[in-house]
Amino acid sequence: MRPALPALFFAPVVAMGSGDSVCAACHAQEASHFRPTPMSQALLLVDSCEILKTHPDLQFQEGPYHTQIKREGDRSIITVTNGAESFSVPILYALGQGKAGQTYVFQHDGAIYESRVSFYNETGGIDLTIGDQGTTPHTIVEAAGRRLVPAEAANCLGCHSNGAVAGGILHLDSVVPGVGCRSCHVQADKHAAAVRTGNVAAAKMPHLAELAAEETLELCGQCHRTWAQIAQSGMHGPNTVRFQPYRLTNSKCYDVEDQRIRCTTCHDPHGQIDTNLASYDAKCTACHSTALHTKVCSVAKENCATCHMPKIDLPGAHHKFTDHQIRVVKAGEPYPN
Amino acid sequence: MLVCGRALAGLAGLVLGISVIAWSQDNVSPDAVLRHALQLHQSGDLTGAISEYRAYLNQVPDNAMARSNLGAALSRAGNYEDAIVEYKKALEQQPGNLPIRMNLALAYYKAAKIPPAATELEGVVADRPADRQPVLLLSDCYLRLGENRKAVDLLTPLQQQTPDDKALDYMLGTALIRDGQTARGELLVDRILRDGDSAEAHLLMGESKLSANDFAGALEEFQKALAIDPQLPSLNGYYGTALADTGDVPGAEAAFRKELAADPNDYVANFQLGKLLEGDGNYAESRRCFERALAQRPHDRGARYQLALVDLETGQAEQARAALESLVGENPQDVDAHVSLATAYYRLKRKQEGNKQRAIVLELNAARRASAPAGISK
Repeated sequence: MRPALPALFFAPVVAMGSGDSVCAACHAQEASHFRPTPMSQALLLVDSCEILKTHPDLQFQEGPYHTQIKREGDRSIITVTNGAESFSVPILYALGQGKAGQTYVFQHDGAIYESRVSFYNETGGIDLTIGDQGTTPHTIVEAAGRRLVPAEAANCLGCHSNGAVAGGILHLDSVVPGVGCRSCHVQADKHAAAVRTGNVAAAKMPHLAELAAEETLELCGQCHRTWAQIAQSGMHGPNTVRFQPYRLTNSKCYDVEDQRIRCTTCHDPHGQIDTNLASYDAKCTACHSTALHTKVCSVAKENCATCHMPKIDLPGAHHKFTDHQIRVVKAGEPYPN
Repeated sequence: MLVCGRALAGLAGLVLGISVIAWSQDNVSPDAVLRHALQLHQSGDLTGAISEYRAYLNQVPDNAMARSNLGAALSRAGNYEDAIVEYKKALEQQPGNLPIRMNLALAYYKAAKIPPAATELEGVVADRPADRQPVLLLSDCYLRLGENRKAVDLLTPLQQQTPDDKALDYMLGTALIRDGQTARGELLVDRILRDGDSAEAHLLMGESKLSANDFAGALEEFQKALAIDPQLPSLNGYYGTALADTGDVPGAEAAFRKELAADPNDYVANFQLGKLLEGDGNYAESRRCFERALAQRPHDRGARYQLALVDLETGQAEQARAALESLVGENPQDVDAHVSLATAYYRLKRKQEGNKQRAIVLELNAARRASAPAGISK
C-alpha cells in the first residue's frame, strides 16, 4: 500500500481560483522561476503597469481622430476626440508585458473592447493595434476600440489570465492576472484538493514533460495557436509568424512523435526566454551531427537560429518575430506559408 | 411545424377511417374476434383492441387490413415502433395500398424516423401528386432533413394553386430562405405579414438574417416571434443560435433545452447545443445531441464532423478516422475534415498518413489563396 501524502502544514489558501499561491507552497522553485516571465505577466493591472506608469501621456493621430492615453493617479484613461465628439474610458487591463507591445482592453456598454491603439516598445509610443490596419472606424467608440463578442473576449482573457473563464463564459470578478499554473496544469485545483486530504490516487496529474511533440504543441497552441487553428482559419503570410506552434509544425525537421522537436525542447515553460541564440545550438546538434550521420550545416557551427530561424519584420507590429519554421533560408525567397 | 400539425390532424381521420372498416363476413370464430377488436378500437380501448387484433392475426395472419388496424391501434397508443412492424407486414401483403403506406409514413414520422418517413411519403406523393396532406408532410420531412430544394420543388406548384394559404406560404418561405433563395422567401414573408404581425413571419425573417450573418438583427426578429408565440416549433432552436452568436451562451443553452423539451428531435437545437456542450467538455451529452441531429439528417456533414471531433476528444480515434475519411472522400476540398483527419492519424500513430493530410491542407489553402488577396488578421 502506498503511503498517504502527509497532511499539509501550511495554511491552505484555497478558495480555489485564488491564483498560484497554493501551488507555490509545494512547488516553490517552479513558482519563483515563473513569476517574472512574460507569460506570468501576460495581463497587468493598470495601477501597477510599468509602461502606463512611465508613459503618462501617450498620443496618436489617425485621420480626424486623436487618441490619448493619460495617467490619472492609479488609472489610465483612453480619450478619443474628433473635434465634434469625445469619448473617454478607463483602461481595464493591459495585455502583454510589453517586450514587443502592449494592447489594452476596456469595458463599455456591457461589452469588452480591444483598444484600437497599442503601445510598441520599439517606438516607445502608441500606434494602431495589429489587425486594425486597413480598417476605418465609423464611430468615436470604434476609434477607441473594437467590440469583442463575448466568446472572443473569453478567449482573449482566457489566455492572458487564469481563472477568468468557466464554461466558456468570462467572469471578470475572478480574473487572476497572467498565465498561471492552472493554465497548463488544468487539473491543478483537483490535485491541490487531493493533496490537502491526503488522497494519493486523486492527486496524480499528467506529467506534461512526457508529452509527445504534437501533444506539447497542442497544449502550448491553446494560446499560441495550434497548427489546426491556423490552417483552418486560412491565415497566411508573415502574420502567421506570431503563431510559433504552427510555424514549428511546418518545419521539415518537425516530427509529431519526436520529443526532440517540441516547444519545451528550447523553452523552459517555467523560466525566462534565453535571448542568447548560441544557447540553443545544443538543441540543434542533438539531432544534426556528424556523429549521428545526419545532415549538418556546411556554413557555420554555432548560432544556428540566426540563419535557420530568421527574424521576420511583421508590418505594423514594430517588432521582429523569430520565425519558428526551421529551414534553410535562401536569399530572396518569399516567406514560406 | 404549423403546417405539419394540420396535416397530422387530417391523417388522424385517415387512421380512424381504416379502423372502422367492417370486417364481419360470417360468424366463424376468427371474425368474431376481429369484430370484437374493432368494437374495442372504436370505443377507445386500445389495449383490448390490440390484444384482440393479435389474437385474430394469429389465426388469420394474411389479413392485411386487420394488420393495418393493429398498426393503427398501436400508433394511437403511442407504440410507433410496433406499429411500424405491423404496417410493414401489411404492406408486404398489399404493396399498392396507399392508406397503409401513408400510415406507415406517419408512424415513422411520429417516431422521429424522418428518412424512412420521407421514403414512404415519396411513394404516396408519386401516386397522388395532387393530394395536399402527403405533400405537406413530405415537405416537412424534407425541411427536417435539410433537403430544402426538394421542399421548394414540391411546394411551389401547390402554392401556385392555392396562393392565399398562409400556412403553405410559411412552409415554402422557410424552404426558400433555408435554400438561400432569400428574396423569393421574403416575398412570402411579406405576404404573411399583410394579415398582421405573425410569429411565423418573424421566425422566417430571423432565419433570413441569420443566414446573412446579421446576428443582432436575427435576435431581434426571434424575440418578436417569441413575444407573439413562444411555443412556435423550431423558434427556440433558432433563438438560441442567435443568442450564441451574439455571445449569450447561458441564454442560448436555455433556449436549446426549451426547444428540445418540446421536440427532442429538433435538428437545430440538437446540433447547436451539442456544439456548446462540446466546447464545455461535456462530451457525453454533446454526443447524444449530435446523434439525435444525425438521426434527423443522416447525411448531414456538420453533425458527422462534430461527432468525429467528439470521438477525437474522447479517445476514439479509430472511429473518428473512419468518419473523417468518409467526409474527405465525399468532399476532398473540406479543409476542416483534412485537418482533423491528420490529428486522428497521429493519435493512431499513423504518422505518414497524418503528414499527408497536412500536406493536402497546405495545398488546399495555397489554392484558395490564389483567388483571395492577402491580409492581416487577428
